[in-house]
Amino acid sequence: MHPDLDPQRSGLARLLRELPESAAAPYGYREFEQRALARAHQEHGHAGGRRLAVAAVLFLAALAVLLRLNGTPHTAPHGLGAAEVRGAPGLDPEDAPAPSASTAERWLASLPSEPAMVRVGTRAAVMGLEDRIAQVDDLLTATGDAGSAPERLRALQQERSRLVGTLVQVRYAQTLANASP
Amino acid sequence: MSRLVEIAVSGELLARARAGEAAARQALYVALAPATHALIRRLVGQRALAEDLFQDTMMTFYERLPQFRQEAPVGAWLRQIAVSRCLMYLRSPWKRARLCLEPVDCGVAAEVAALITPGYSGELIDLERALASLAPTARAIVWMYEVEGYSHQEIAHAFGRSVSFSKSQLARAHLRLRTWLQPQEHPPSCTLI
Repeated sequence: MHPDLDPQRSGLARLLRELPESAAAPYGYREFEQRALARAHQEHGHAGGRRLAVAAVLFLAALAVLLRLNGTPHTAPHGLGAAEVRGAPGLDPEDAPAPSASTAERWLASLPSEPAMVRVGTRAAVMGLEDRIAQVDDLLTATGDAGSAPERLRALQQERSRLVGTLVQVRYAQTLANASP
Repeated sequence: MSRLVEIAVSGELLARARAGEAAARQALYVALAPATHALIRRLVGQRALAEDLFQDTMMTFYERLPQFRQEAPVGAWLRQIAVSRCLMYLRSPWKRARLCLEPVDCGVAAEVAALITPGYSGELIDLERALASLAPTARAIVWMYEVEGYSHQEIAHAFGRSVSFSKSQLARAHLRLRTWLQPQEHPPSCTLI
């Protein structure tokens, strides 16, 4: 340590303590109370403004949700969200839950027979699937009439369910593609 | 020692003020406000800013007065509120930027002139100028350490920094203060030893 530093430091500290404490007196108690009151009013106003801003944000959010819901052209059948479409890119088909056959068929029936915009690739797939389902329906009718083995009936029904599921996925993908800009 | 810490307030006056008696609250203000304002002024420098922080401090003081348990002198408790308000201001990046943008050099003369009282020696006037020329953080550290008696650990904790930050700020501030004081015709006695 430098030998001169400490005496210099203590001298400086002494001088600092000698500085007069109060040169400019603060305002009086009455002025203090008035300022406190004004500040309380100001803060109350700010709190009101904040509440108003929060309410406005909530209202806008609710409005946006409503518009989004009304703007969706078709909703997928229950249990079949956009991310849940089997065969959608980036999605493991095994993870997607299969919709029930009746729900899927009701949803398919609600769709227009011909979409507004026809894409050749999906159109061919849809037609192929619809033909296959019609063939399976014919086979089911024939098998039922002939009184064949229940295993055969069950296998045909499973095949029909699988085809309907695939058709739902293709039609839903088609709907989404048409809805997107 | 700080004069704020040394102010004696009777327990009876405190009890009446805590009960909300207007006259007692006013008496408390008269006793404590000048020293509180002076301390804040020393810590932040600027008059308008000091008034704002003083108002904040006193409002907090009265709000929390019912919870004051008299484990320490009321002046020490009030000093703690004032120092924490000032440091909160000095630590805030937004407010620090505002302080840096304000013209410091132009303000120094007026600030010092306002602080100078009759009977002031030339040495003290120089010290006022030197103190006003320090950066806000350095000035606050010098005042807290040298006058208020805070330790480096306490300052470091208050600023949320390391002990070496406090030490280095103080050392640099001392150097600067000495540089201001040395070229005078009658150098202060502390430099003659």
